[in-house]
Order: sequence, then structure tokens, then C-alpha cells
Amino acid sequence: MSPRVLVAMSGGVDSSVAAALLCEQGYDVIGVAMRLTPDDPPRAARRRATCCSHDDFEDARRVAELLDFPFYVVDLREDFRRRVIANFVGEYLNGRTPNPCVMCNREIKFDRLWQRAAALQCAFVATGHYARIERDGSGLFHLRRAADDTKDQSYFLFNLTQTELGRTLFPLGALRKSEVRARARALGLVNADKPESQEICFVPEGDYGRFVERAAPAALRPGPIVGEDGAVLGRHQGIHRFTIGQRRGLGVAAAEPLYVRAIDAATGAVEVAPLDRLTARGLIADQVRLVRHLPTEFAAEIRIRYRHPGLPATVRLCAEGRAEVILDRPGPAITPGQACVFYRGDEVLGGGLILQALRG
Amino acid sequence: MRIYLDSNAGARLRPAAAHAMAEFFRAESAHGNPASIHRAGQRARRELERARAAVAALIEAPPRALVFTSGGTEANNLAVIGAARAASRRRIITSTIEHSSLLAPVAELEQRGFEIIRVAPDGDGVIDADAVAEQIDTDTALVTLGLANAEVGTIQEVAPIAAAARRCGACFHLDAAQAAGRIPVVVDRLGCDLMTLSAHKLGGPPGIGALYVRPGTILAPLILGGPQETGLRAGTPNLPGAVGFGCAAEEALRSLDAESRQLDALSRTLLRRLREGIPGLRLNGPMERRLPNTLNLTFPDVLGETLLMALDLEGVEVSMGSACAAGAVEPSHVLIAMGRSTDAARSSLRLSLDWSTTAEEVGRAAEIITRVWRRVAACEPRHEVRP
Repeated sequence: MSPRVLVAMSGGVDSSVAAALLCEQGYDVIGVAMRLTPDDPPRAARRRATCCSHDDFEDARRVAELLDFPFYVVDLREDFRRRVIANFVGEYLNGRTPNPCVMCNREIKFDRLWQRAAALQCAFVATGHYARIERDGSGLFHLRRAADDTKDQSYFLFNLTQTELGRTLFPLGALRKSEVRARARALGLVNADKPESQEICFVPEGDYGRFVERAAPAALRPGPIVGEDGAVLGRHQGIHRFTIGQRRGLGVAAAEPLYVRAIDAATGAVEVAPLDRLTARGLIADQVRLVRHLPTEFAAEIRIRYRHPGLPATVRLCAEGRAEVILDRPGPAITPGQACVFYRGDEVLGGGLILQALRG
Repeated sequence: MRIYLDSNAGARLRPAAAHAMAEFFRAESAHGNPASIHRAGQRARRELERARAAVAALIEAPPRALVFTSGGTEANNLAVIGAARAASRRRIITSTIEHSSLLAPVAELEQRGFEIIRVAPDGDGVIDADAVAEQIDTDTALVTLGLANAEVGTIQEVAPIAAAARRCGACFHLDAAQAAGRIPVVVDRLGCDLMTLSAHKLGGPPGIGALYVRPGTILAPLILGGPQETGLRAGTPNLPGAVGFGCAAEEALRSLDAESRQLDALSRTLLRRLREGIPGLRLNGPMERRLPNTLNLTFPDVLGETLLMALDLEGVEVSMGSACAAGAVEPSHVLIAMGRSTDAARSSLRLSLDWSTTAEEVGRAAEIITRVWRRVAACEPRHEVRP
């Protein structure tokens, strides 16, 4: 009997082609759409100017009908609310800048969804992520950047451990986006030319500040905008509206451009400074996970946000899942809450969430 | 071989009904319009009226009192909206456990200013008939209830309601879509003015139903046009559907005693076998006064959603709550109204048998469900479900 795989299908072209490729490779494919946000499935018409009345789940269902594999919708809204949305809101209220996709992969797709897959006797969970998993001669799994450098999503996947990599498939890892669209067209998939989704799925208008305000109106932290010397330069309505390195929307007049250098959740103070004062020599990360075993100190290129080109650094693993990352040369603004992912060439070694920048 | 246990969503088509419809399409009369004057029209009309008589016989109604509709949903809409529009009264009485095709038109009327009384059931899904009867007054336009509940199968006692409605001059509608063909349903004995029937719940084709309208009951039509169906439902009737409906109703009536005894025995066996293998399994709804084909069960330590998918992959087709437009399942509003927690509702599945279910299928289903439940329960994180 061919191995069974649960494919997480969003209704987009990537996960649809992923499912199609697995069918071609002879897997016993089960398609699953995840209901994550309170108003899932999102209405396609809201995002696109076209007059489509069917939604994204409907697109996924039609792909499943075309390729003739079972398709189900699973309700993960409660888990998503507790583990992703609440974390997202809490991080902003703590003056941090979260990455909910990292959290969703760790908590939902490769944890909760896997549990469902296991109950359905699936050997694998597959997604339309652009990343590659390779197994070497010793049986060790390696997580690598996608062949299509412009689409690579390995940054979001650093939390995958050996166990998880062993039961995960990324069928698109070796393909370019243009090839994926071509495959979709050749297969006659309804969503072959569907536009990319860019925004965070539960903040459709992309206004994170307003989302946080609606979710936790009582917990907002207004406070002063201060210079490095502590002088009050202005007031703000809540620290959740700020991210390290932010220049716009400060409402502060100064001779030279000022950027957010630090956010103090305890006092509500947002500290601003000229760009060169944001420079850091490194960072502390927590919730660190490694893809494979590594010595306590190793060299790596680190990426501190999605599409970041990478900086050479030394990673030293500490107690309690923390790591100290020292850059070879002092680097730019470092944003707590974002993921710091360790790479060696195109391989993901692991990563963690940025706790604080090391300056001076 | 797959095992189909979802007949409350739609029973398997009776071979006799399939045959009758195939014959209909082969015959010359397939092209006739029952409203036409010529011989083809007359033949079509004869087929339609023959079917109407067969369906009417199922509920011991005069054939002329039956209006064919596109299904149970349209019949419920015609009953609720049609009765409300025809009345000058402002009160409508229903319950919290009705099918969406009753709840939605009632909610629509609420928007338009009608006073709606929604009676809650007890823990078994039983509506207190005296409590309903007490609410009926001379301003009551309509009392509308399901005779048997689609999700848990509870059969309601309606005699006091019928009496009170008659006394106050209120219209009494029963949705018998799930009951007809499974238990004896006689309009005069139940004392209702309107009754909804659905073909595909009793082994007919989907896409056709009927509303019984007691002679003298005033309804406003929803679909306007020609004078078909005594002016209550314009449009050429679904003639092939009616042929299948009539045939299925005939067979359901002829074998009612045998089938309901058989269904009762099979569902009791299924429940007993499942209880042996699944400690803590709970039956929702009463043991007696329940449709003989319906078992609504709360499974410990699993999400119904996962169990349903896992069973489907093993060839056993069951259902849960009601599906949203996207195909996701919502916890059953019926179980919630019966006082179950959301978690318990999320852990509940409906198994519904039909005329075709065999003892062999029931035995195999019990074995598969028990095995799959064990596996799914072992995979499910315990703290996620609090039945």
C-alpha cells in the first residue's frame, strides 16, 4: 500500500500543485483545509477585485475533485486563537514584533495538524512551502533553502526537528514558482493564476496596530517617546504601534531622521535615535531549536527577518533554550520577537526568537 | 464495500424508485407537460397524479391536499412564510431544535416584526407539548415543529399542541421529513394543518418533496406564476422526481412495519455492539420514542470531526452536526439546546440507517467504528476534549 500523506491545502496554487505532485508520485493523498481564523474561509472577493463568489476552500475542493482524492475541512480555530493570535497580540503589547507564520508552523501545521494526520494513519504531512528536506547517508535529515531563492520559506520552518522532518514533505522545494504555475495550468487547476497572498492571514487589511487594539482594548500601553538622553520628545497611543527600526509615524520633529531604538514595555517608553545608534553587535535568542545536533558553539549566517540576506556570526548555545549570537561585524537594527535563523550555506541549522539586541 | 450510515441526510434510492424513473424516461410521456391540453400533457398529468396519490397515501391524506415542492426545505419555507403571510396574527411558536429550513424562515419573520416563541427541549430532545400548548393564543398564526428530530431522532408528542392550535384557530405545521416512511404518520391522527415530506429521506430521489395542506387552510404561495399545484406552487412540477417519490412512498408504506422493526433491531444491535467496545459511549436522545434508524452518539476522548474523517477513509459514512458552506462541521445546535457542552457536541456523530442496511453491515460497522475510535482516541491530545 502506498504511503498516505495529508496535504494542507489553502486553496492557493502552491499547495494545490504540491497535492498534484504527490498524486503523481503515487502517494495516497488526503487534502485538508484548515479553518484557522474566526471568519475562515476568507472570501476571495474581499481580497480580489474580480467577481468570484467561491472562496479559497472551494478552490481547494475543486482541485481535490479534479485529482480525485478525499478532501476535508478541519476546524483548528480554537488552537489558532490560543496559540497564534493570542501570542501575536501579547507580543505586540510587550513591545515585540512577532512572526505569526513561524508560530503557526510550530504550533499548528506541524503539531496540531500532525496529530490529525496521525489519527488518519498518515505517514506524512505535506505543505506547499518552498523549502527542501534531504536525508543523508547516515539517515540524518537536512532542511535546506528552496531551489527558487526568491520564494524560499525556510526561514519560517527552523522549528522542525528531526522527528518532524522525517514525517514532512515539501514537494515544491526543488521547483521555481514559474514552474509551479506552469504545472497548475497544465493540470487545469482553477487557481493556476491566482495572486499570491502576502498578508498575515488573520489581519487581512495588514493593519496590525488596529488588530491589536481591537483584540485587547484594555491592555494598550500609551507612553512617552524619548530620546537617548531620556528627554521626552512626544507621546504615543500604544507601544504595539512600534517596531525596532521604524522611522515613520513617530510624530517627532528632529534635525536628523530618528528611528525606534528600544521599546520599554514596563514604562511604555519608546526610545528613538539616529540610525547609527541602532547598530548591534549581536543578540540573545530564546526558544531555540536545532534541526540537527551541533556543538555548543558554531559559526553560521543568521537571518533576522524574512528575506534578510544573512550576516556571518558565531552562535553559542546557553541554558534554558537560549543562544547568544555575536555578529562578526556589528549589524543593523535587531527586532525582538522576530526569528533569528541559523544557516550554513543553504542549510537551516536551527533558530530561535530574538529576545534582545546586544549593543555596545 | 462502503457502509452508508447517513440516511437522515439522504437515504439510498430504492431500486423500485430508480426503476420507475428509468421507465418514465423511456416512455413517451417523458416530454409532456402536465399543464398541457393535448394527449402528451394528459399522460404526464396522469403520472403526476398517480404519484401524488401514492405520496398522499403514506400519510393518509386526500391526494388533492398535497403540493409538490423542490424538497423538504421548500415545503418548510412554504409552510412558515406562506402561513404567516396569509394570517393577520403576529405570533409564531417553534422550538430551538428545528432544522435550519424551519429556523431560517422563522428568523426572517422575526426580522419582519413577528413575535417568535422558541421552546427549548429537555435533555433527551423532548419538547414539552403542554408547554407549547400553553403558549398558543388567539394571536398565534403558526405553530411549527419537527415531528421527529433529524439529528437525535426524538419523536415529539403533539396531541395537546394540535388541540390547543385548533381551539385558538392557529395553523399547526409538522415537519415530518425524517418521520415519514420510518414510523406511522397519519395527518388526521396528528391533527396538523400542514406537513412537510421529503422524498430522499424515505428512499426516493433528491430534489422533490411535498407539503400537505389541510383543505381549508389558507397559505400564500412563495413561487408565483402559473396555476400549478392548486395555485400554491407555480412552475412545472418535477415529474420524474414525483414518479420516484410516489414509488418510494408506496414501497415505504407497504413495508413500514417490517422496515421499522428491522431498523429498530439493527440500531439496537449497533448501539449494543458499540457500547461493548467503547466505554463511556453516550446515546443522545431517548431510547424509546426515537426514530428506529437514528443513533446520535457522543464518543469519549475524540473529536467527532477527526473520527468522521477517519471512518470515511475506512469506508464508513456518518455525519456530524451540520456542515457549513465550506464543508467544515459546526457543533450541533440540537445537542447544545439539549444541554450538552460544546465539547460534547464536537465529540458526537450521527449514525442513521435506512431500508437497505443489513445486519452484516451493522456488524462490520460496529467493528470498524470501535477499532477506528480506539486509534483516533490514542492520537488525540486528551486535554483538547472535555466531553
